[in-house]
Amino acid sequence: MTAPVTERPAAAPARPPGVRRRPFNWRRALTPWLFLAPGLLLALYFKFIPMIQGIRLSLHKVQPFLGDQWVGLDNYRTVLEDDRFREAFRHTLALGIGQTLGAIVVGFLLALLLEGQAKSLWIVRTAVFLPVITAIAVVGEIWRLLYLPTGDGFVNTLLGLVGIGPQPFLDSPDSALWSVMAVGVWIGAPYNMVIILAGLAGVERSLYEAAAVDGVSLLQRLRYITLPALRPALTIVLTLAAIRGLRIFTEVYVLTGGGPAGRTEVWMTRVFSLGFERNDIGVASAASMLLLAVTLVLTIAVRLLSRRADT
Amino acid sequence: MLRPTSARTAVALLAAGAVLSGLTACGSDDGDSGGSGGALEVWTRSADAPAETYQKVFDAFTEETGIEIDYKPVVEFDTQIQGRAASRDLPDVFINDSGSLGTYQSQGWLTPVDRDSVTGGEDISDENWATTQGLDGDYYGIPFSRQAFVTVVRKDWRENLGLPVPETWEDLSALADAFATQDPDGNGQDDTFGMVVPGTTERGYLAWWASSYIWQGGGDFVTEGDDGTYESAFDSPGTVAAVEWIKEQFCTPGHVQPNALTSTTLESRQFNNGEAGIYLTGPYNLAAYDDQPGQDTYEVIPTPPGPEGTTMLAEGENIYLGAGSDKTDAQLKLAEFLISPEAQEIAMAADEASEPVVRLPVNSTVDAGQVRNDPRWELVQEQYDNDSRAFPSAINFTPIRQAVAEGLNALMADCGSDVEAGVAGISEDIDAELADQDLLP
Repeated sequence: MTAPVTERPAAAPARPPGVRRRPFNWRRALTPWLFLAPGLLLALYFKFIPMIQGIRLSLHKVQPFLGDQWVGLDNYRTVLEDDRFREAFRHTLALGIGQTLGAIVVGFLLALLLEGQAKSLWIVRTAVFLPVITAIAVVGEIWRLLYLPTGDGFVNTLLGLVGIGPQPFLDSPDSALWSVMAVGVWIGAPYNMVIILAGLAGVERSLYEAAAVDGVSLLQRLRYITLPALRPALTIVLTLAAIRGLRIFTEVYVLTGGGPAGRTEVWMTRVFSLGFERNDIGVASAASMLLLAVTLVLTIAVRLLSRRADT
Repeated sequence: MLRPTSARTAVALLAAGAVLSGLTACGSDDGDSGGSGGALEVWTRSADAPAETYQKVFDAFTEETGIEIDYKPVVEFDTQIQGRAASRDLPDVFINDSGSLGTYQSQGWLTPVDRDSVTGGEDISDENWATTQGLDGDYYGIPFSRQAFVTVVRKDWRENLGLPVPETWEDLSALADAFATQDPDGNGQDDTFGMVVPGTTERGYLAWWASSYIWQGGGDFVTEGDDGTYESAFDSPGTVAAVEWIKEQFCTPGHVQPNALTSTTLESRQFNNGEAGIYLTGPYNLAAYDDQPGQDTYEVIPTPPGPEGTTMLAEGENIYLGAGSDKTDAQLKLAEFLISPEAQEIAMAADEASEPVVRLPVNSTVDAGQVRNDPRWELVQEQYDNDSRAFPSAINFTPIRQAVAEGLNALMADCGSDVEAGVAGISEDIDAELADQDLLP
């Protein structure tokens, strides 16, 4: 069960024009590889070997002490035919899309609010960024407390102030997925905010000035100047969010464990429960491999799309 | 371009890489670094409090035999041991639920035990030995501790409200209602609940808790045929009656604690915290409850009978000898020590406030009543002797318990759900799981 690898931009070797061809220089050719070696070795041991093991396991009925049995693609068939996996996939998609959009909108609003040079803004930005650097497991436990479904839970106390009765949040099949999504947005938005802030800093000021001379409204300014200028930043945010969204695990595991009634079960919690609660490592590995494949396809698709949009 | 310094740096980096790869290679090959000379590695599924008691037992063992023990209490036992099994490096000895035997044995994790060669084995009853038998009739573990679940009730709350000790399911339900609505702690606030239920699907906790009520209602999980086959017995009017009653608790506001459906046992601390007044639980919690909410505030009550009786879940821990260990002598020595009267008494932790890890001793020469001299534990003993049932231990029951918990969790989450259809669905899941294990007739 390896986590999907995030892609790494390939270095494009280019010879400056006008340089004459020289005899092949071994030292020169080897040097970059020497520098890459530690990283590659780490990747080999902690990513690639486990990944190959994962592929091997996914084709076996795994029982270390009795000898693994070759079952071919049976494990994959089990995953694809399993209703619970389909359900989990739907939840994963819903969470992924909801959290991505939510985090981008909130991140964008935060960025617009907090753009600027003032000292006070710097402090607020730091405070807003805190959820990103806090361990997700900790965030989950804290939100479990905040979401306490009784009248004296923190969120319910706030709701009580405006006259709304206690909500069950994580404990009702109807609201659990939304509650998890809200936590995801809370975690993801500040990260997006930082990337969008960087994008905002690069927007040509003269465009704003020209627009002001032309007398455009605030909305028009956003629509025709800010958003187009932010496209590269949004592409990055979208790619990262798509990958992160698919392999969501910790938040869900800590907040609900996939319950109630399996309403928040996502792909990785299903994998975890099959692998470690039902001891079915083979099927769990097959499901992980499928997730890896989907992630790869999605990453490549986003890159192709964004490249086409750029040209 | 390449100056000597950068070449040197490059070589240094490469060397560092080589060392690293060497290290990791060692790490993976040398899995059984415990080696034949090292200490005996022992795992138990325990939090801090019971781990202290275990440590005392193991210290006594080391003192007596000179064999060092490398003891690791593991809370996430099932997941962690799975990882160790995947690298073919199980702990030498591990102590866990007797119900896990079938799961472990079906994966070849356990070294069979020759019952007759176990010193002190004759002091363990045939019934207790039977819980360590695999499907093939061989013994795959040694009994260590037994227990029956009991119902604990906040006595002070009950008396504040002038209510009697519940004697039927209806009484129990009414008591839960009173605890939820009549401010039993008299603080003027609506902040108390009836029952505590660890109702998550994790580890199949909901099925664990519900099993006693299902048996009391006349339902059951699986039945064993004459020829060693098993089939689901879940879909019955008895199970439906029990699940209806359980659902009534979940769907009446206040009868169970609010986040029950996603709570594990560790998260179900409302009884300790004085937020809820009824809990069907294992007697290992009594020591903690003496501390909080306090010894005088609660009581262990005789099981209020359901439509078909007062059966309670019996559980226990077995000592398992990990396969692939090269310390077979020491493994057996530790097991023999653990079932000796001396070790059982230390593990019962009778004279201190620490948590007992032997709840009811398996060694019949130990007089539990005399060791503990506690009427509440006598009730536990009575329940265990007279009216308790265990999950079948020979088959791989874990997935079945998981399926039941998942099904029940879904039924409880939706108060408009159709219990009969739900129970039938769970029954089909159980049969599908049994078919997977080639156990269906």
